[in-house]
Amino acid sequence: MLLPKFAYHAPTTIDEACSMLAHFGAKAKILAGGTDLLVNMKKKLLSPEQIISLNRIEGLNEVSYHKGSWLVLGPLGTAANLSNSKLIQERISVLAQGAGRLGSPLVRNRATLGGNLITARPASDLAPPLLVLSAEVVLKGPKGERTILLEKFFQGPGQTPIQVDEILTQILIPKTQGAGAYIKLGSRKALEIALVNAASFLELAPDGSIQQARVALGAVAPIPLLATSAAKILKGAKPKDEDDPVFQEAAQAAAQDSKPITDHRGSAGYRQDMVKILTLRTLKDAYRQLMKNT
Amino acid sequence: MITLKVNDREYDLVIPVNRTLTQVLRENLRLTGTKQGCSLGDCGSCTVLMDGQPVNSCLVLAVEAEGHEILTIEGLSDEGKLHPIQQAFVEHGSIQCGFCSPGMILSAKALLDKNPTPDKSEIREAISGNLCRCTGYQKIVDAIQAVANKV
Repeated sequence: MLLPKFAYHAPTTIDEACSMLAHFGAKAKILAGGTDLLVNMKKKLLSPEQIISLNRIEGLNEVSYHKGSWLVLGPLGTAANLSNSKLIQERISVLAQGAGRLGSPLVRNRATLGGNLITARPASDLAPPLLVLSAEVVLKGPKGERTILLEKFFQGPGQTPIQVDEILTQILIPKTQGAGAYIKLGSRKALEIALVNAASFLELAPDGSIQQARVALGAVAPIPLLATSAAKILKGAKPKDEDDPVFQEAAQAAAQDSKPITDHRGSAGYRQDMVKILTLRTLKDAYRQLMKNT
Repeated sequence: MITLKVNDREYDLVIPVNRTLTQVLRENLRLTGTKQGCSLGDCGSCTVLMDGQPVNSCLVLAVEAEGHEILTIEGLSDEGKLHPIQQAFVEHGSIQCGFCSPGMILSAKALLDKNPTPDKSEIREAISGNLCRCTGYQKIVDAIQAVANKV
């Protein structure tokens, strides 16, 4: 399959890229890793006249670094970078787990964090981990910079509030002492789109009660979804061990929060059952990690 | 005009910007060891190493490969002498139709360069983006394991 014709631009600064985007408007598409855009162009689903590559802009591919009380992730860090990064494995291993399950090793070496978020697919492998980590995204445009909570960023399949002249320049994660876990369910181990995926994150108070809890689900709604009623049940609870009934209750609530559809990959009922199981397993895993650390 | 560094050799090329790295390797440089299969990033037959990392060259614009070191299957053998991974593929009967072999071998090389003593599951993981439609995976895994054991 051949790529349609287009004009190619490789700006070297974010400002230059923004002014190109402002100039070309909807005729332009941003190229990062290309594992989504180039496929859609070959399939003739998209045929942008102008391609603006971000790959010559310095700094955007910085995988992660500390900045005050935040961990900053660069939008051009690849899935492989995220899954192999020591800093991410140590601080926010749930994201390393998600990144390690995306596509195949070949795809992971090209697919970028920013691209994965901008495409806003309901089955994204990176969205549930980032949602439970309370991530925020920084968008930069000619009018300046704005920061949006990731949970407000996903509005529908492929739909985000990013404007045509804006670029996702940073992903911010508040520093935390909590622990999380991610599980992807599919019919294959690689090159798979999740049938259901789930991420959980827990933070304990000194007395052992749950101070902060978040559960996020993928492929069971039009957007990667925060299971808010599951989080409500967990918050303030004081589990005696990983078999505490509160985790069961939260998993059940997560299943009720999900709104799956039936398609060729699985039925709605099966997906909802799997939400419960995956949520329970990720919660127990997160709790085990916290117990090991204390 | 772009300059591509492929197998330690520099090539000055004038090419349209919508050409993929696979197309330029095969059609401009006549390095036809890199295969074009699905052309959508699913099959891995177009695998090349870019700065040591295996990538689907069908999803890399040739213009974006400028400034990176590209290694194709042609760059592995040394004056007609097969690379140990290639030799192991021959010895273990890991090649049936041969279409996936260049990609398999390059994914294996990237693995062994990073992890010289992988176990079976690490090997299977490393080649999980390379599809063999003859389904001869076991012999491919055996060959990679044999090279790892020799290290």
